[in-house]
Amino acid sequence: MSISLKTVQNKPEPVAYSEAALRNNAIVMEYCRTSMAALSGSTAGVLGLTGLNGFAFYMFSVIILWAMFLVKAGPNWKKYYVSRQSLLTNGFLGALFTYVLFWTFIYGMVHVY
Amino acid sequence: MSFYKIILTVGFISLFHSAFSAAQHRSYLRITSQEFTTLPLDIVIQAVGSLFLLMWGVLNVAGNLREIQAAAELNNKTWETQKNIPSFYIFNHRLKAMSPYYVPNEGKGDLENLE
Repeated sequence: MSISLKTVQNKPEPVAYSEAALRNNAIVMEYCRTSMAALSGSTAGVLGLTGLNGFAFYMFSVIILWAMFLVKAGPNWKKYYVSRQSLLTNGFLGALFTYVLFWTFIYGMVHVY
Repeated sequence: MSFYKIILTVGFISLFHSAFSAAQHRSYLRITSQEFTTLPLDIVIQAVGSLFLLMWGVLNVAGNLREIQAAAELNNKTWETQKNIPSFYIFNHRLKAMSPYYVPNEGKGDLENLE
């Protein structure tokens, strides 16, 4: 009897996620990520970063945004997102293009002309 | 206007100001014909600081997170809300004939006289 009880307890409980809530949270994250890419691109342009420094700054701001997101979600982030890692890596390249666009634009505005 | 929108506005103005300062610094260097190495530290600090400010503002303006547990939102609803199904509303019931104020319809013949 005790053995069967144990197996029942070891079995992970299946979790049902709400599709609409997942999509809503993904949209919120996407919005933040796009804004972050544009804003940090502008900042990189203002600072006059060139070459690899700019990409390092992008990595830096991605990680800062992630940290801020976790701070905002608080200790019970599992209520809102399935995984933290995908929060960090989702849309990394797509936002990078936005970043480069703003970076070059603001760099040209501030430092070239 | 909410608090975070004010933060966003302040951050934008601050970022724009630091961009303007950087542009002026470049023109100053050009006039005095010096070589550009790095920006002054105060402009760097202002730009990065306003970036953080903007990020925090955007994060809070973006919208509320919803709980992804499927049962999380259903748990907050009362039974009165759950059982409310408009398709099953009944507006016309024969029990109304039991009311003392009931005025019976005259029947099909009356409908023809109306016109």
